[in-house]
Amino acid sequence: MQSRRRKYLWPILSAFWLLLVLLGAPRLQQLAIPPGLRPKTLTSWPRWLDQELLPSFVGPEELSKDPCPPSCSTHEWRSQKLGCLMETCFDTSRCQSQGFKVFVYPIGPTQPISEVHHKVLASIEGSRYHTVNPEEACLFVLPGDALGPQLLPLWNGGQNHLIFHLHPGSWLDLGFDPGQAMMARANPTPETFRLGFDVSLPFFPQSYPQRGGSQSQLVHLIPTWRRPVGLRHVGSGSSNQWDQNAILIPSDRHGETSKGRRDRPCKQDHTTEQSEDQKRLYNSTFCFIPPNCRLGSFHLLQALKAGCIPVLLSRGWEPPFSEVIDWGTSAIVIDERHLHQLKSALQGLPPARVLALRQQTQFLWDAYFSSVEKIVYTTLEIVRDRIFRAASRPWLLWNAPPGGLLALPTFSTHLADFPFYYQRHGSRPSGRFSALIWVGSLDQPPMKLIQEVAGSQHCAQILVLWSNESPPPAQGKWPQTTVPLIVIEGKKKKSDRFFPYSTISTDAILSLDARSSLSTSEVDFAFVVWLSFPERIVGFQTRSHFWDETNGSWDYTDQRPNEFSVVLTAAAFYHRYYHNLFTHSLPAPLRDLVDELSACEDILMNFLVAEVTKLPPIKVPQRKQLQEVPSPQHPRAEQQLKNCVNRFASWFGRMPLVHSQLRLDPVLFKDQVSVLRKKYRHLERL
Amino acid sequence: MCASVKYNIRGPALIPRMKTKHRLYYITLFSVVLLGLIATGVFQFWPHSIESSSDWAVEKRSVHDVPVVKLPADSPIPERGDLSCRMHTCFDVYRCGFNPKNKIKVYIYSLKKYVDDFEVPVSNTISREYNELLTAISDSDFYTDDINRACLFVPSIDVLNQKTLRIKETAQALAQLARWDRGTNQLLFNMLPGEPPDYNTALDVPRDRALLAGGGFSTWTYRQGYDVSIPVYSSLSAEVDLPERGPGPRRYFLLSSQMALHPEYRSDLEALQAKHGESVLVLEKCTNLSEGVLSTRKRCHKDQVFDYPQVLQEASFCVVLRGARLGQAALSDVLQAGCVPVIIADSYVLPFSEVLDWKRASVVIPEEKMREMYSVLRSIPQRQIEEMQRQARWFWEAYFQSMKSIAMATLQIINDRIYPYAAISYEEWNDPPAVKWSSVSNPLFLPLIPPQSQGFTAIVLTYDRVESLFRVITEVSKVPSLSKLLVVWNNQNKNPPEDSLWPKIRVPLKVVRTAENKLSNRFFPYDEIETEAVLAIDDDIIMLTADELQFGYEMRKLRLKQGKQLARGPAAHQRPPASQVWREFPDRLVGYPGRLHLWDHEMSKWKYESEWTNEVSMVLTGVAFYHKYFNYLYTYKMPGDIKNWVDAHMNCEDIAMNFLVANVTGKAVIKVTPRKKFKCPECTAIDGLSLDQTHMVERSECINKFASVFGTMPLKVVEHRADPVLYKDDFPEKLKSFPNIGSL
Repeated sequence: MQSRRRKYLWPILSAFWLLLVLLGAPRLQQLAIPPGLRPKTLTSWPRWLDQELLPSFVGPEELSKDPCPPSCSTHEWRSQKLGCLMETCFDTSRCQSQGFKVFVYPIGPTQPISEVHHKVLASIEGSRYHTVNPEEACLFVLPGDALGPQLLPLWNGGQNHLIFHLHPGSWLDLGFDPGQAMMARANPTPETFRLGFDVSLPFFPQSYPQRGGSQSQLVHLIPTWRRPVGLRHVGSGSSNQWDQNAILIPSDRHGETSKGRRDRPCKQDHTTEQSEDQKRLYNSTFCFIPPNCRLGSFHLLQALKAGCIPVLLSRGWEPPFSEVIDWGTSAIVIDERHLHQLKSALQGLPPARVLALRQQTQFLWDAYFSSVEKIVYTTLEIVRDRIFRAASRPWLLWNAPPGGLLALPTFSTHLADFPFYYQRHGSRPSGRFSALIWVGSLDQPPMKLIQEVAGSQHCAQILVLWSNESPPPAQGKWPQTTVPLIVIEGKKKKSDRFFPYSTISTDAILSLDARSSLSTSEVDFAFVVWLSFPERIVGFQTRSHFWDETNGSWDYTDQRPNEFSVVLTAAAFYHRYYHNLFTHSLPAPLRDLVDELSACEDILMNFLVAEVTKLPPIKVPQRKQLQEVPSPQHPRAEQQLKNCVNRFASWFGRMPLVHSQLRLDPVLFKDQVSVLRKKYRHLERL
Repeated sequence: MCASVKYNIRGPALIPRMKTKHRLYYITLFSVVLLGLIATGVFQFWPHSIESSSDWAVEKRSVHDVPVVKLPADSPIPERGDLSCRMHTCFDVYRCGFNPKNKIKVYIYSLKKYVDDFEVPVSNTISREYNELLTAISDSDFYTDDINRACLFVPSIDVLNQKTLRIKETAQALAQLARWDRGTNQLLFNMLPGEPPDYNTALDVPRDRALLAGGGFSTWTYRQGYDVSIPVYSSLSAEVDLPERGPGPRRYFLLSSQMALHPEYRSDLEALQAKHGESVLVLEKCTNLSEGVLSTRKRCHKDQVFDYPQVLQEASFCVVLRGARLGQAALSDVLQAGCVPVIIADSYVLPFSEVLDWKRASVVIPEEKMREMYSVLRSIPQRQIEEMQRQARWFWEAYFQSMKSIAMATLQIINDRIYPYAAISYEEWNDPPAVKWSSVSNPLFLPLIPPQSQGFTAIVLTYDRVESLFRVITEVSKVPSLSKLLVVWNNQNKNPPEDSLWPKIRVPLKVVRTAENKLSNRFFPYDEIETEAVLAIDDDIIMLTADELQFGYEMRKLRLKQGKQLARGPAAHQRPPASQVWREFPDRLVGYPGRLHLWDHEMSKWKYESEWTNEVSMVLTGVAFYHKYFNYLYTYKMPGDIKNWVDAHMNCEDIAMNFLVANVTGKAVIKVTPRKKFKCPECTAIDGLSLDQTHMVERSECINKFASVFGTMPLKVVEHRADPVLYKDDFPEKLKSFPNIGSL
């Protein structure tokens, strides 16, 4: 009996010991660590025992009943007039019939206005928006230094008026009540800025270029990775403010509080800022934009131009066009009370982000800020987007190349309809094309060409644009094709070629002259290449422009076969969007010029596409190289072409054409392998 | 049996000893152990219960047991909301301090029950939804229980519905919070503001500087960049499970399902219905429902009864009209059904409009234009409607679905304002997962032709073939655009030749010694690379002519002439006119020998092809131009274990590079110049090896391996290559820019 008890005693005893050790040890350990170092468990929000039984914040009946008091009717609401919104202060019905037309008040000699305002008005007058008839106008524009706007005959409380106010600190800021007029204001302050109604502009000097403007000149997309980031304080003149390896914090330099900074002039005259300072901008990765001074937004433009990532303070001002431009993709925004973190914040940026930011600065500069014209058009397009809200640009159209001014929402608001966004949208162009054949006054019906083109497996339809004096052949006279053949009677104008005909059902257009000679395999290969480059012109015959030093003007030739910058639209693939852009974005005088002169329409189309893409066109091989459309050989015709190039260049404000020296051939083109292995073997037969 | 026998034998010998003093000993021992155990037990649980009882954070408790706080009638009331508040004037960012993760810390006040002098409660203690919201915050990364480290404070006083509370007393309760401080950095959540008859669009409780996440803001009460506009939560979200409806035509074009519409609006809608017949459906409250049927879940049109919200899935567009309040719970139901909301509520600040792009998911119609709405909607193409439907559903899933998603979106928006440089991008907020997956955003998206003057850096990877290496260096140095030559010496056992032995070339030559013999060393982003363009070249590629290399990068003969032109041309035309293959395609791999991947139907896997094909999908990096950014991507951003795999197998680094570039840019490679047999002195590289059958098998394995790591086949197949304009044209050779191309 005793032995039995002892037999149990041992295991029990040891079990107790074990328990003691197990339970006591962690506790002892806990005691050994000072309380401050102990890992703390988070006291979280309690899980209530009765949380399932808690009442809902609103009864189901109450939510759906929500009785509407008389005050919620439209008229009652409107009478409250608490501030200006597009819905309350703008009469959109004026814009329904004629579209977005802009009237500019004629400025008499008695009204002295500044040069900047002159440029603004001139830009509008030369644009496609302009109308001279106030009856059909949707928007009335007047310069900020025009006196007594209230006295204008059509003022009407300022409704549908837009005032360009480009001189911060002028009399307009001294208690002028714009009423229902929109203010496009340089450097607005939050107190005066009516969000969603006013437009924020950048400040720019008198000497700003009217159109074109210098292109972005970024040399290195990537700053050298390892070096510490450089921050440049824009607007400081002397060179010792700039330290390659350190971050310059403005408060270090000025030693003043943020309150006192508002009225501090940053630098008086920036138009004289010279290349030394500019060069330093180009070498910097980040540029600090001092806030609240009159020229803040001008410094911003300088930084954008130099590809220097702007560092903005989040307080106090509306960045230019902030309604449509997502500044987070091109600038570093930081709260000024967090400035001491700036260095680590900048150094913590992943290289991919820095790369993207730098590219975005260049894109923004080129798309919206490089000239007065672009700034003015962007302002007008922002207003247009507000009026036609259902057909306004999606975010990507404003914030990705080629930018909102070159992506027309009147064409479409869907990304997949444009040639630029296939990758971002995750789609691809449709795999068929429409052939558009222009039959001019001296041409025969292009029967053979129709057959060759219709033989392509990618051809969806053939459109014959009949611009001949004689009537088109009867229905039965045309060759039998498997694809539909449609004859369009043109208005016998050259610009008809690029009219956006609603019958065009595919993304790709093959533009042809009746005299062009192409084989099916040439068409097939060119189309396959176009599918890889849907935003460019892909064609066969090329020309080149060059700078003629003796005459100091541009010249145009077919005598430089090693390079090219223009692909003739007598035989070329391009996206149908360019028809729309050609017809609706170019001003009427430019299109009239094309109608008057012969053979200039190709050049204008190439200018337009190059302006959009910033890239050269693409050349593909053609079997019969020397049987081109006979180009005008006599000197007058040559002079005319040269004239065209110069007039277009001056209208665009710069030369957008880009040279290329390559041709895209089939992979096995003229290689020493059996012809039977080659897919496009017909391209090589002469 | 055996054991018991043993015990029996040993037993009697021990018993006598036990009997006397040992018993006492055992008992003492036993009690000591027991005492120790009890002491430990008490020690273990006692202090804890003391600590936490003060904070009543013991897990299981009832809401009814929370401490009661009596508010004296004369306790202070905060100022009314300050309409001029902005983040930089009313918000104290210093409290948020520096946080390496750029994440704000949020504190939740503990729950109390507030009563007035007469013991009458000020409001419901807490509603189910507000409890869910606070639980979600508490479970998130934003949460802290340390009031001293918090940046944002969320009172547990429930103000979701203004109707359920007494305004003055609630304000007094707010004012006595521990860190109230005029409401600085306090965040209130309110979904149903206002009271009859005026229905203010923001919470009427005086709250001084506190941030308001409100459900019915109008532009006039919303403090832009300070308040947050949130949705009105619909409890149907949790009750009804509506699976996402695929694209395709729906029965009704336009539907109105709200019950308490203003008569004027209802008559407008009915006029639309009369005009457009079947495609418009205006529903109203059912009048003759049988007992026990929830009237909120049914809608009627004449005698027809419809299930709500299921009926919303039958329509393309659903009207969301303002009622007494601007914010409507119906918006949430409509989004859940994937119906595109047509929002008719002038001045309404849409939920999360600071970050969400409502243009993609809704149509906003001014109240005045209600009668014209049908034609506006009809002008939207079907494809776009389907995208809007998908977008609407995604907004609901991500930001409307639960109190948790509403709370998280609100905190993230405030977080983005405090750390704007680390804010979430537009795409992350707005792109549905399917779009994020299918879209490609090229890291080199700017159509910029790099200036010609920059030139390129050649990187030669070598092990020990010095003689061949020197020949390559001599050849490459003839290319005019070369600006620097980098030799990556991958042999750790042997020193590179002395300086005097290297060929004398006109550009700087630098030798980099590596720590390990790895193939990835070729793609390391060396600091020495100062140009954008990189030419990767093997130490045995000597069959390419200088013309061919130069063409791969840019133009030679025109350069001088055009340089002069440039200098004198107008300043606006500074971009160099000459451009060559890589410069025209700086975001692509531009290489000489091309390869192809094919789908092997028999084996159902990818196959590597190097025969004479009409297509190209890869170029060998034995000699190729590319942007130096890809070196960075290869070294630091290569997905999965591909980099290690390549180093371990000593093969396929070029295929990996092709995959990487095609995946991030979505573009095909460019093959330059005609096909030629690559002849090499030792014939071990590229083609020499490629002929080997096992080599081909291994390369195919690589493609399959990489395709599975990338989860897709990023390579793009093209049928073209780049030649000089006049290549093989009937044209005098000496007038061509690049005559020496394609010769063997």
